[in-house]
Amino acid sequence: MGRDSFEITVNIVKMFAIFLLMVQAVPILVWLERRGSAFIQNRTGPNRVGPLGLIQLLADAVKFLFKQPFMPERGVAPLYYFAPIAALIPGALALNAIPLSTPIKIEPFEMLGQMWGPYTFLFQGYDIGIGIVFILGISSLGVYSILLAGWGSSNKYSLMGAVRGAAQGISYELALSLALVGILMVYGTLSFKEIVDAQAGPLTFMAFGKEYVIGALPNWGIFYQPLGALIFFAATFAEANRLPFDLPEAEGELVAGFHTEYAGFSLLLFYIGEYGHMMVASALLATFYFGGYSIPFVSPEAVNAFWLAKVDGANTAAILTAVTHHLSLLVRVALFLWIFIHVRWTLPRFRYDQLMSLGWKTMLPWALANVVVTAIWLWLGHRT
Amino acid sequence: MTADSLLFFILAAMTVGSALVVILASNPIFCSLALAMAMISVAGIFASLNAWFVAGVQLIVYAGAVMVLFVMVLMLFDLKDEVRAFSRGLVSGFFKIASVAVIGGVIAAAVWMSTETIFSTAPAAPTVNATVATKQLADLLFKKYLFSFEAMGALLLIIAIGAVALSRIEGGTHADK
Repeated sequence: MGRDSFEITVNIVKMFAIFLLMVQAVPILVWLERRGSAFIQNRTGPNRVGPLGLIQLLADAVKFLFKQPFMPERGVAPLYYFAPIAALIPGALALNAIPLSTPIKIEPFEMLGQMWGPYTFLFQGYDIGIGIVFILGISSLGVYSILLAGWGSSNKYSLMGAVRGAAQGISYELALSLALVGILMVYGTLSFKEIVDAQAGPLTFMAFGKEYVIGALPNWGIFYQPLGALIFFAATFAEANRLPFDLPEAEGELVAGFHTEYAGFSLLLFYIGEYGHMMVASALLATFYFGGYSIPFVSPEAVNAFWLAKVDGANTAAILTAVTHHLSLLVRVALFLWIFIHVRWTLPRFRYDQLMSLGWKTMLPWALANVVVTAIWLWLGHRT
Repeated sequence: MTADSLLFFILAAMTVGSALVVILASNPIFCSLALAMAMISVAGIFASLNAWFVAGVQLIVYAGAVMVLFVMVLMLFDLKDEVRAFSRGLVSGFFKIASVAVIGGVIAAAVWMSTETIFSTAPAAPTVNATVATKQLADLLFKKYLFSFEAMGALLLIIAIGAVALSRIEGGTHADK
């Protein structure tokens, strides 16, 4: 956790801050979803409460908090109440493991009559060396929340939704993991930080033992793994139960699917889980395929030198450098979140057999082929 | 007591507790959920031993895929008859006593064989970086134990094909010969 009380405090506060980042982004995303859907469907959307309808978020939150909680008479209480909490855990744990910016190096400084430091703070909750395996492991547990909710509320619609959700989650997890195997082969590491570092500079690739540099393009993963990026992106929609893969809550057939029996605050927790999943997926997409927090063609040292010239104090400059890189990641995350929302209001829902055949007969073979082609390409590239 | 040993005792208590629920609860849904909980706790124990990769794979494969399938299939069945058939009768009584004997033997053997390790004060092996440890594991799997690793893969493939073949027969496993 840290060597002294200051470091321990900062590390604990960091974890809570990232969790709160996830929770607090949800009302904004809900507002964006409602306004965005209205924009796409040529409606006005919520525009009465506050400027641009922004206070609507507060009104929604108050409504969610003050609704009377209830439980179905024949529901299974422990499972029914644990399911919404279980929906939060994977997103919160996964978002904490993703590096959101460059590490902050703090020089020794004086506070409360005593010298502190030097420290190096990571801009993430905790650094697990094998980040990719951890993220896959944690996100595969997300299915349990749907299963618990479906069975615990003792409702046939809920159960159908839950079983659909579990089957879909497992099916698309395979394609998603195989798409990431391509990334593992290209970068040869399981750590997020090393993957982001490897994507700095202009596009550089090896072919037949020679090195080629394309100066106009950044060295991003999508240029090495275009098919992998596409499969990963599509599979994250299924993992997050978003349209066109929202069969678990197909409101035309199953009322509201696995959360039919939920209302008020526990329903809100499911929403936070879903949007948290979207945020994690967007951050992962940015980290693996779009350079993570790096700024194209600008090294972190250059950003630090820029801030050192602007402000006085190495510590302030280090913090501002990290914030700049964090904004660089947030731009990408916001863009992908907008694509998530746009797709939801553009594409119709799959039929269940179409969904399964897409997962098993299209995405899985293509992801496998991607792995094989990547292996051949790497072998050719390093062969002289 | 250090933080590491406190963590171990919490995780061990969770593992043993949920494993007990697996065999004591009569509702198969609770049994399988408790088994999933036991898998997650075992993954935590692996992680506390710095075996991060094994912990991650334990989560992905067992807790995330195998147990989800178990739970999903159990939820689809109405298991009242099976529960009754399994909780009464001479044959199941025999199996109960036999399994108690087996588990007693396993526990006795575990205690017998691990007394030396428990009371030894050998220094712990130096911890290595998670990525390096994963590479060492891969070296072992794909160089030293390559044949057994591939043989396991072939075995699993045969099982999968056999399951598909069985499910395609009209009537499944109860089909007329």
